[in-house]
Amino acid sequence: MTKILTKHFDEPKLHELETYKRLDGYKGLAKALTMSQADVTAEVLKSNLRGLGGAGFPTGAKWGTVPPADKVPGPRYVVVNADESEPGCYKDRVLLTRAPHQLIEGLLIASHAIGAKESFIFIRGEYQNQYDIVAKALKEADDAGLTKTCSIKLMRGAGAYISGLDTALLETMEGKKAWPRQPPPFPTVAGLMAKPTVVNNVETLSMLPFILREGGEAFAKIGSPKNGGTVVFSVSGHVEKEGIYEVPMGSKLRDVLELAGGVRKGHKLKAVIPGGTSMPPLLEKDLDLTLDFDAIRAAGTFLGAGGMIVLDETADAVEVAHNIERFLTHESCGQCTPCREGSFWSEEILERILDGKGTPEDLPNLTRMGENITGKVICALGDTVGVIARTWQQKFPEDFKKRIPHGQAS
Amino acid sequence: MAKRVKFKLNGTELEADEGRLVIDAAKDAGVEIPHYCYHPALGNPGNCRMCVVEVAGAPKPLVSCRTGVREGMDVKSDSDAIKRAQASALELHLVNHPLDCPVCDQSGECGLQDYYMKIGKYQSQVREDKQHKGKRIEAGPHVMLDQERCILCTRCTRFVDNVTKTGELGIFGRGHEERIEVTPGMTLDNAYSGNVVDICPVGALTDRDFRYKVRVWYLDKTDSVCPGCSRGCSISVHTNTIRPWHNDGKRVARLKPRLNPEVNGYWMCDDGRYGFSNLDADRLGRVLQVSPAKKDVSWETAAQAIAEKFKDQNIAIASSGMLSNEDWASLNNAFPKASLYFTAEPDQVGVEDELLRKRDKVPNLKGAENLGLKSGSFNDLEKDLEAGKIKNLYVIERDLTKVWGAQRAKTLLGKAQFTVFQGPNKGELGDHYHYRLPATAYVEEEGHFTNFNGVIQHYKKALDPIGSARPDWEIFDLLHMAMKGVPA
Amino acid sequence: MTPATKVKSPFTPEQEKVLEGWTKAYPYSNMGLVEALRSVQDWNRMISPEAAARVGEIFDLPFNRVWGVVNFFPTFTTKPTGKFRVGLCHGLSCFLKGSNKMESCLEKTLGVKKKEVTPDGKFSWEPMECLGACEQAPALQVNDRLQGAATEATIAKLKELK
Repeated sequence: MTKILTKHFDEPKLHELETYKRLDGYKGLAKALTMSQADVTAEVLKSNLRGLGGAGFPTGAKWGTVPPADKVPGPRYVVVNADESEPGCYKDRVLLTRAPHQLIEGLLIASHAIGAKESFIFIRGEYQNQYDIVAKALKEADDAGLTKTCSIKLMRGAGAYISGLDTALLETMEGKKAWPRQPPPFPTVAGLMAKPTVVNNVETLSMLPFILREGGEAFAKIGSPKNGGTVVFSVSGHVEKEGIYEVPMGSKLRDVLELAGGVRKGHKLKAVIPGGTSMPPLLEKDLDLTLDFDAIRAAGTFLGAGGMIVLDETADAVEVAHNIERFLTHESCGQCTPCREGSFWSEEILERILDGKGTPEDLPNLTRMGENITGKVICALGDTVGVIARTWQQKFPEDFKKRIPHGQAS
Repeated sequence: MAKRVKFKLNGTELEADEGRLVIDAAKDAGVEIPHYCYHPALGNPGNCRMCVVEVAGAPKPLVSCRTGVREGMDVKSDSDAIKRAQASALELHLVNHPLDCPVCDQSGECGLQDYYMKIGKYQSQVREDKQHKGKRIEAGPHVMLDQERCILCTRCTRFVDNVTKTGELGIFGRGHEERIEVTPGMTLDNAYSGNVVDICPVGALTDRDFRYKVRVWYLDKTDSVCPGCSRGCSISVHTNTIRPWHNDGKRVARLKPRLNPEVNGYWMCDDGRYGFSNLDADRLGRVLQVSPAKKDVSWETAAQAIAEKFKDQNIAIASSGMLSNEDWASLNNAFPKASLYFTAEPDQVGVEDELLRKRDKVPNLKGAENLGLKSGSFNDLEKDLEAGKIKNLYVIERDLTKVWGAQRAKTLLGKAQFTVFQGPNKGELGDHYHYRLPATAYVEEEGHFTNFNGVIQHYKKALDPIGSARPDWEIFDLLHMAMKGVPA
Repeated sequence: MTPATKVKSPFTPEQEKVLEGWTKAYPYSNMGLVEALRSVQDWNRMISPEAAARVGEIFDLPFNRVWGVVNFFPTFTTKPTGKFRVGLCHGLSCFLKGSNKMESCLEKTLGVKKKEVTPDGKFSWEPMECLGACEQAPALQVNDRLQGAATEATIAKLKELK
């Protein structure tokens, strides 16, 4: 099975410059520096690399929206979004721990492509161990003169899931509350301190060394049409072997489950959340779905950041829905009313149902409220509040109904 | 010059400047799109989500306060989907809103009440206890804060951050723990604090001055001009005459700014907003001969007596920029040879700032200037009085105790041969003049003030005069006739 | 307007230097604010209004803006945490693996309820949102460093921290 990011993960010193260089490290960067900015972007476009932080937007296309320096002179930045906080996702943590130089190389390639002379790695505050590892690798890179085309600075977050959203991340970096912005303008036009800024995920940037070394076409060949390369899944929950698994885009859900050892022994699969708790769950009948952005979208959910949580029959859909809504309520930035109030209300209703005090009106109320919130809020967190309120009861109505006392009118 | 473009709103073809916000373009066409957080002077954060509209080609509803008109745009603000979206956005604003209407001053002019009646009218589905936050917080000398009622539209924080740049309010917390709070260590005591009450769509920020005084639906509203300084902010005088036993019997309930892009924008300062206690206290309503014996007299009798003394023409007039354009014209007509003292120094000057407040704390010195009238200094008047040079002293709308101090003023007053006082309020020296004439306050008359920039503004009559009070210009005309020997 | 505080700085000269340093660490001075506040939280286990006001002065930012940032991010607290701030994830994967039981274990072992500080000031614990260690569920963290899975044994070991 083709591996790109985790190819050398059996090498214990992969995080050290010497080892990384020995294993074709920084060859992609060297190649990129001989190419024009436009050619590097074209190569990435050819590769069909999609954003692996959750949105799945074609990376080359995103870079293409950065205004050229002759039209908009002045600094432009690349920001690495290492604020991984979606429940179920931990692949960025592993990539930062094991392969920091892979990220640094990818970041330098991206910086060259858009003409950035200064770039930033924003690491969530709770990844202090990873911060130390990346800082050490960065020093190695600085000392070796690798960052002479673009200096890289680290910055730590201070918690808050919402600061992982690109515009909210930029707000945090500017010393403000992580309140998402409302484009236009988009960050690539006016981002960090109103300068053109590309925000890319750790995994996305880590793919670039391969793309530049082997070519965009080779990357595109791995994977499915319009979804190039591989994707790393963080698997957790009721499986035998939790861990990260890198598979080509377009692999079957069944295959990833198998790699993780399948549902834990003696239990039966109830649901799989493919991309992190914000995404609707898939059921046993969906196991043959192919895992890429487009196919999963067509199946009514999202690939997200590949945080695959496996649930067996011991999981109760009401408890799960409540857990996720509690998370969303706690993390809602509070800027817009529907999300701020709707998330709190959903959590309260679900808590009431868990306490056995639910009423028959609660379920259609949750659905109605969910429909009213999704699409009418400032950012995707709000959309998710509505999605969660609807989908868990849609997929597992029995779990909900059995908790609501019969004939209990409002 | 912006490009004019054609677009459709609810099926009607319209024209607007390209880029004009859809919510404003709709308002131009008479279509009110519900909203809370948007304010033309405070920006468009788009956080209330009430103003959503459907735009053909857009995948989801857009907030009209952040969408600019483009050529060929097809906008719907009245479709079923939008009506549902508005009602549901409103519902989520109300989920944790306390049922305070019976005790909330905002009742009757509340954004939640108004929109509920227009686009809501749904059955509440809330079965939970509402979230509790702080109530009855004294945010500042003029403003009361109730965090439970707050809908977090951020208008008030934007005001103190961007208009007054004083930062006394902030939003602290995250998600549903957010509340508007007074910044620790601060008090909301900037010179414009009352404006946050105007812009708050709900009863979260209310006026301490107006608290529990009278219900807003009993108020009459009259366009007027603030007489607090030479800026002359456009205001609205809110009066209560229907329920005279409310508001401690005071007729003027409150003053609010009126939008005037040329003069004051949307705001007024606290000095002007709260400086109307002299309209219902210490008022003169009787035409009075004070000396040698206190006697009520008729206007004609008083005019005759005063004309008798004035006609030897040595008249010193101490007045102020409180007089309207009509008053100045009439005064000049009646007393062309009088020595005039109306300069703002020393007692009618104060703080000037970059926002609205001007140094001269009277509305209409410009009116006198435009007529070519010149003022002597009160120092000179003092000298002349001291030297016994003043025969007739006519004091109009000026409190001499504020010019010279109470004792000194009384002494100087005694040095003139014949003194007349005219004004709305009695003041400390009211019993030390020979004649006392009641004048109307600006809310009881109609007139014009000219502000420091030369902008002439019309103020309208909001209340009936007290007792026998008459506008200053009417009294001047009366005296003029009497001095000319014209029978009353 | 009453200024928030113009009292003398609540920081030592060395700490002042560190904070000044954060104004110069990035191309724009305000970009250093979150890192500066992290430093204050590390030193004092909390951020008081006075500390926040002084940071505002150093960064030339209005106090209500700085206080807004302090009250927004979970890393910053306005009440003291223990010297060792223990975090137990209660995200979905950790919940499925019994984070509730581990919460009770923490309460019993450390002897305080969540967000309370032990009398000697050494420990406080609280549930946290997804810590990005779902394969080590239920994930345990001390002062922003992951400690692997929370078990009765690993929780007991916490008491050995100096």
